[in-house]
Amino acid sequence: MTPAPLRQPVPKPDRIDPITTSVIQGALENIAIEMGYKLMRMSYSSIIRESEDFGAALVDAEGRGLAESAQSTPLQSGPIPGYIRGILKTLADRGEAIRPGDVIMHNDAYSGASHGPDVAFVVPVFVGTRLIAFAATTAHHLDIGALSPGSCGIVEAIDAYAEGLQFKAIKVYDRGVRNDAVWQIVRDNIRASDLVVGDMDAQVAAARIGAERLVELIERYGVETFDMACGALMDHAERLMRQAIAKLPDGVYRAETAIDGYLDSPDANKKELPIVVTITKKDDSLIVDLTGTAPQVPDRPINMPLEGTADIAIWLTIRSVLLDTEIHGHIPVNAGLIRPITIIAPKGCLANPTFPAPTIARFCPGNQLADTVMKALSAAMPNNVSAGIGNLKVIAFSGLKDETHWVHMEIFEGSYGGRQGKDGMDAVDTLYANTRNNPIEDIETHLPLRVLRYELREDVTGAGKWRGGLGSVREFTFLSDGGASVEGEGHRYRPWGFLGGSEGAPAKLDLETGGTTRALPSKVPHMNIAKDGRFICYGPAGGGYGNPLERDPADVVDDVLDGVISVETALRDYGVVISAKGVVDVAATEKARASR
Amino acid sequence: MRLIGVDVGGTFTDLVYADTEAADTGVKIGVHKISTTPDDPSRGVVEGLTALCDKYGIPRETIDTVFHGTTIATNAILEHDGAVTGMITTGGYRDILHIGRHQRPQHYSIMQDIPWQDRPLVKRRHRKTVKERLVPPRGDVLEPLDEQGVRDAVRELKDAGVEAIAICFLFSYLDPAHEARAMEIVREEYPDCFATTSSSVSPQFREFERFTTTAMNAFVGPKVRNYVTKLESDIEKSGFKADLRIMASNGGVATPAMVAERPVLTLLSGPAAGVIGGDWAGGLSGKRNLITFDIGGTSADIGIVTDGGFGEATARDTWIAGFPVMVPMIDVHTIGAGGGSIAFVDQAGAFKVGPRSAGAVPGPAAYGRGGTRATVTDANVVLGRLDRGNFLGGSMSLDEVAARRVIGELAKQLGLSDLEAAEGVITVINANMANAIRSRTVQKGIDPRNYALVAFGGAGPLHGAEVADMLGIPETIIPPHPGITSAVGLLISDLRYDAIRTSFQISGAADLARINADFAAMAKELGERFTADGIDLSKVTFERRGDLRYVGQGYELRVPFPDGPIDAAALAKAFDAFHEVHKREYGHHFADSAIEIVNLRLVGAASAAKIAKPAVGAAKSLAAAKVRDGIGTFRVGTKLSDYPTTFYRRDLLPVGERIAGPAIVLQMDSTTVVPPQHSFEADTAGNLIIRKSDG
Repeated sequence: MTPAPLRQPVPKPDRIDPITTSVIQGALENIAIEMGYKLMRMSYSSIIRESEDFGAALVDAEGRGLAESAQSTPLQSGPIPGYIRGILKTLADRGEAIRPGDVIMHNDAYSGASHGPDVAFVVPVFVGTRLIAFAATTAHHLDIGALSPGSCGIVEAIDAYAEGLQFKAIKVYDRGVRNDAVWQIVRDNIRASDLVVGDMDAQVAAARIGAERLVELIERYGVETFDMACGALMDHAERLMRQAIAKLPDGVYRAETAIDGYLDSPDANKKELPIVVTITKKDDSLIVDLTGTAPQVPDRPINMPLEGTADIAIWLTIRSVLLDTEIHGHIPVNAGLIRPITIIAPKGCLANPTFPAPTIARFCPGNQLADTVMKALSAAMPNNVSAGIGNLKVIAFSGLKDETHWVHMEIFEGSYGGRQGKDGMDAVDTLYANTRNNPIEDIETHLPLRVLRYELREDVTGAGKWRGGLGSVREFTFLSDGGASVEGEGHRYRPWGFLGGSEGAPAKLDLETGGTTRALPSKVPHMNIAKDGRFICYGPAGGGYGNPLERDPADVVDDVLDGVISVETALRDYGVVISAKGVVDVAATEKARASR
Repeated sequence: MRLIGVDVGGTFTDLVYADTEAADTGVKIGVHKISTTPDDPSRGVVEGLTALCDKYGIPRETIDTVFHGTTIATNAILEHDGAVTGMITTGGYRDILHIGRHQRPQHYSIMQDIPWQDRPLVKRRHRKTVKERLVPPRGDVLEPLDEQGVRDAVRELKDAGVEAIAICFLFSYLDPAHEARAMEIVREEYPDCFATTSSSVSPQFREFERFTTTAMNAFVGPKVRNYVTKLESDIEKSGFKADLRIMASNGGVATPAMVAERPVLTLLSGPAAGVIGGDWAGGLSGKRNLITFDIGGTSADIGIVTDGGFGEATARDTWIAGFPVMVPMIDVHTIGAGGGSIAFVDQAGAFKVGPRSAGAVPGPAAYGRGGTRATVTDANVVLGRLDRGNFLGGSMSLDEVAARRVIGELAKQLGLSDLEAAEGVITVINANMANAIRSRTVQKGIDPRNYALVAFGGAGPLHGAEVADMLGIPETIIPPHPGITSAVGLLISDLRYDAIRTSFQISGAADLARINADFAAMAKELGERFTADGIDLSKVTFERRGDLRYVGQGYELRVPFPDGPIDAAALAKAFDAFHEVHKREYGHHFADSAIEIVNLRLVGAASAAKIAKPAVGAAKSLAAAKVRDGIGTFRVGTKLSDYPTTFYRRDLLPVGERIAGPAIVLQMDSTTVVPPQHSFEADTAGNLIIRKSDG
């Protein structure tokens, strides 16, 4: 028996208290994390479970993000609200209603999707008859039925139809009933379909769990309280971002970089394409204008969907610089964070293409856009940026065994530029990508491939007071006849140096076949490669930060002792004279530095 | 058997004595607490042992075994204070330790550090490569070992002042011969050096994780070896004849020799002892399904005990100081929530509690050591749940004024009353803890409503019942001495060793001969280990397990394997078990998919004498136990209200009498909160049992 309370609580409040808001925030994140955890562990293909190229998020009925999974890669969870808005619009246009028990599949790059291989499965969350929210998962699928095996390196798709199957808000479950015809079409039109369909099943299962949990949460607090909490959480995130923006000096910040495009193309409109970012900061808002960026390439898939790729690259970079987790701690991710940011991208440019311009290979251009945003912000927040990053590369390896395809996609890391007080991060994924490599001991056990080298790339760095991060060298050899395609960036341009730091070094890719070695451009369509063919992939080195002559000689010696730079480089780039015993010659160093 | 458990914590060293049989000596359980001696923890251990024996008049030479929980290895990693470590690895792969999985720890951060790059266990200059290469699936030699290369590398490392060497070759889990030969050469060239091979530390695939674990073993090796050797001899010099046993992360204990060789086994032993202690306490009241919940000043550890057995963490889920560790480990989950967790309003107005903690210094404002931030402990003081006169049995005073001041400041920022703010701190931290428990139970297909929550550690009993309520857990158990449950856990531990083989066998085409050979080889390996420790093998029980996944998946789930020869039927049984576990963990299974056996495991345990049930004293009365009446502020459902609340002394509570809440129960090392709509009783096992009232 519990005695009656002495003081009765006040009747229903007109505003939500901060305690309940905080509890609901924790619960929302907990649900998103569970979805991500289950998807990652259940999934079959290494691109999802090892590279972690998947997303999980909760979104409200209007398509505003409420929470995302912490494990997933930013380029996957970030676009989910856009997928939902795309689905809402597509279904409304078709006059279709969303009903309890539906599971909706979507990958339309012109309607919120990031690109075709990133397929979303969306489960609506109803309380009674009212649609309250959505639980959704996305994942990069191994194959989506494009013109060559794999879903990376489809670099010669000439339009959206050449990229593979297009799913525009398709109900794969309609009021709980599985639409077998759709699943059969999927199965019949993609390679490695057992893996892909298994991964899709895992996505559906994870999204359904999220929806179940969300219903429980909403029922615990009531729809009204839940809505008020979500409103308060988005307002809070918006305030965080506005406060961070308000600290920057008002002004216009412009930066320009460029992408390789198709370096071996005779068509000037397909290569060496500028990306231009102009950020206008006034009070507590930002306008990010991409005017000046190259026109779209109408028949090559390096165009970036504005909603799903370009917007994510912009938001992610602004957030990582202004609300850096290292400095600000964990920040809840929801739609409020992006309210203070307006994006302008002229229709028909690389970052806002028109249908049916192909987009499947937008991964690396998008990351270059992120780097350009950071470069624009560098003048406003020089202590919170890195110098230029080294961009990434994906190779899709494939082959046939007993009339069945094997496909393996490996993402090759870049590196970060130097930072105030810190050298750049070595051999990591950069900016909007944060995937994982596959263990060599896993690859060689399960695939006819051998990884004969995986090390840092020596004596190739962006010199600076804080030097750029080091690239890697990785070699892949075919143990049986197969094929590969390449989708990458960063062969032509050096990552930018900052505040007197040197530029970094570009990536390169060699292919050794039959005793001869040739250098490849950053994009190569599918080619057959015979047994013993070998890729040697040299990762880019990030740009330097600050004057190399101001680098502490002790740090230069450390780099020499670690074999990261040579004694000659120490003198040439840093003016540091190092004896045969690995000791700084102080007098000679002072003299060398004074003479520069 | 006379046993002593010694648990060295950051602030205190706890000792527990137990006599497992002699009921007539008058002393069954003895407890002692002294300050930890951080400069040399062994000094505190020896002082504590002698003081405990003197206190209870136990002749030192009659102690049979001393069980010891140590954080030497853990602290060496957390503080990055280990040996100058070298590495000899396969040519072409010098930087596996540095590149890792090429993933950044944080998605949204430019200024972040990467632990393995910014605090390397082995500097690049000390990573030497030699020619050698094995290839899967059987470990065939693609490139023979360059023995002269190894010899040259060892000499260079020795000249460079390296104190420990990790030998890490690719695919060595398939055949350890190259690593073993390199080890012999290290022994010849540099016999004093602490050396270790990746195939002996953790023979399983995934090179970054295995190499890191091995490097970690070398990094902490000399320190742990010296500590264990000195402790053994100091204990002996003080007149003890006891065997020393050291707690490992797998929930068992190991001999000093084993720990000196593989110190990495002790890295996460502290939380493991807590799970064992919580399991013991729950078992006293006949409970077999338990969630152990150990809340200290800065963190809370959550463990799951199902049907009397605890889970093991999967190889990919264990981390320390940001580094992956692949060693057998009790499945225990630690979150940054404890009595010292700081409550604050962030710059944009959101209310948060933790994960930052005020730590021991300055600690909560209520400790009166200069703390100026509101903490969970301060909130408990303002709510009257921590009693000023009775905190830690009166051994430490509480500054109530300071607690009111910091909570008052927080309340002003939130626009709430002081009590509302204080209760809000508790609600938010409890919700964080409930989410963490949810992630270990509901999200893994375990229904917490079928479990009891064992709440211990200094702060566990303050929060246990309310957290249980949030999860629908019907019963909360508060052990007899909540503050020393981990030390008690030491006394419950068996000598326990693990062996592992990476296998990669696929259903339908499994090589049964190889599976049987692997199990036989592991049994031989563990048998030799136990024999070397002087254990009669007839006292050892073995359990077989396998790490399985659907072909293509990247995460394994652990299932039991039957004893005896593995034939097709036995294998089918293991596969059935896998489908079931997959369904439970993820809510889904793929009945038609092929299954891959990734690792085979064997666990051997040599049972030891255990601490007995604690004696429960003579009958007492509710009237005697009652200290005073007061008023408590509680949230029931989502509503906050004040309730008349009674304070009791735990040691005077009548046994077996159900008492209505809300109530606060005071004892020497902890305070228990019984919320409204709950009742509690002191049971015959010495536990407090809190239950949700009907209706």
